[in-house]
Amino acid sequence: MNTSSAGTTSKPRVGSSQPSDTTFKRKRGVFQKDLQHMMYGFGDDRNPLPETVALVEDIVVEYVTDMVHKAQEFASKRGKLLTEDFLYLIRKDHPKLNRCTELLSMNEELKQARKAFEVDEEKLASLD
Amino acid sequence: MTNKQSKDPFEVAFESPPDSPISPDENEAQAPAVAITSDGQEDDDVNPNFLPANPSTSTAPLISTGVTAAAGKTKEEEEEEEEENMDVELSKVPSSGDPDKMAKMQAILAQFTEEQMSRYESFRRSGFQKSNMKRLLVSITGSQKISVPMTIVVSGIAKIFVGELVETARVVMTERNDLGPIRPCHVREAYRRLKLEGKVPKRSVSRLFR
Repeated sequence: MNTSSAGTTSKPRVGSSQPSDTTFKRKRGVFQKDLQHMMYGFGDDRNPLPETVALVEDIVVEYVTDMVHKAQEFASKRGKLLTEDFLYLIRKDHPKLNRCTELLSMNEELKQARKAFEVDEEKLASLD
Repeated sequence: MTNKQSKDPFEVAFESPPDSPISPDENEAQAPAVAITSDGQEDDDVNPNFLPANPSTSTAPLISTGVTAAAGKTKEEEEEEEEENMDVELSKVPSSGDPDKMAKMQAILAQFTEEQMSRYESFRRSGFQKSNMKRLLVSITGSQKISVPMTIVVSGIAKIFVGELVETARVVMTERNDLGPIRPCHVREAYRRLKLEGKVPKRSVSRLFR
């Protein structure tokens, strides 16, 4: 289960022929900084060991990859990959599910707030 | 220490660990609009530079005192995170609305030691960069169409997962009476346990070309 190999890792392409500006190879340490703070927040040392961070990053990327593939399986029936597919995946996991619904509703609220703000701005602009 | 999913008083206040920032772009624009709707969070501490979209916290305003004090910290993440998230944090104030929870949170937070406060702040503020997550999702799906909500959801899920990993790793450490920072062996054991619990999606096809 050794996830740490040297330098870059090649990921097998799944049916895409895009000349990806992003990745054929996954760079190391993409989430490193974020992860350090996150791990500290969750209980690790203020300065987590680099090898630990690297391992966690690998695990997280693998986790996300697996999740996405599973979600795609559900989505393939419909065609497009939707957010609902992810929500379906985590339906049994209550903390995650609650958190996601909360985030989504907050996002909605913000969108509304933004719209309202824009409308106001227009009014102000037209007054000048 | 910080526990998201245990019978702690924390559980009462949040359901789950924090996660990455929700909203991107504008902020100042948001701050006034949202601040107004905040339900009586008299706290002048509705400091826009607050924490990223993290757990349902009714305590947003209260915490900001701790945060502003900590503003002088070396955590550069604050720059980007706060830009993206301050509006989120503010908006959370009205929506969480439960005065009871808020009062409890405030009581708890008031008793935090400095170290606890700093850790809590990291917990709230940390998150995956939207751009990085988006890039990762695009590379996995092979498609360019990743919506913002999807990035948000995946970041949130991933953050909670990290939390589970780290917490389980800490449990493993206590069992082994280890001290200090978490080591990879603890994480591996934690990962193994999570798999047993079924919290990690199993791959139906084995990973060939790592």
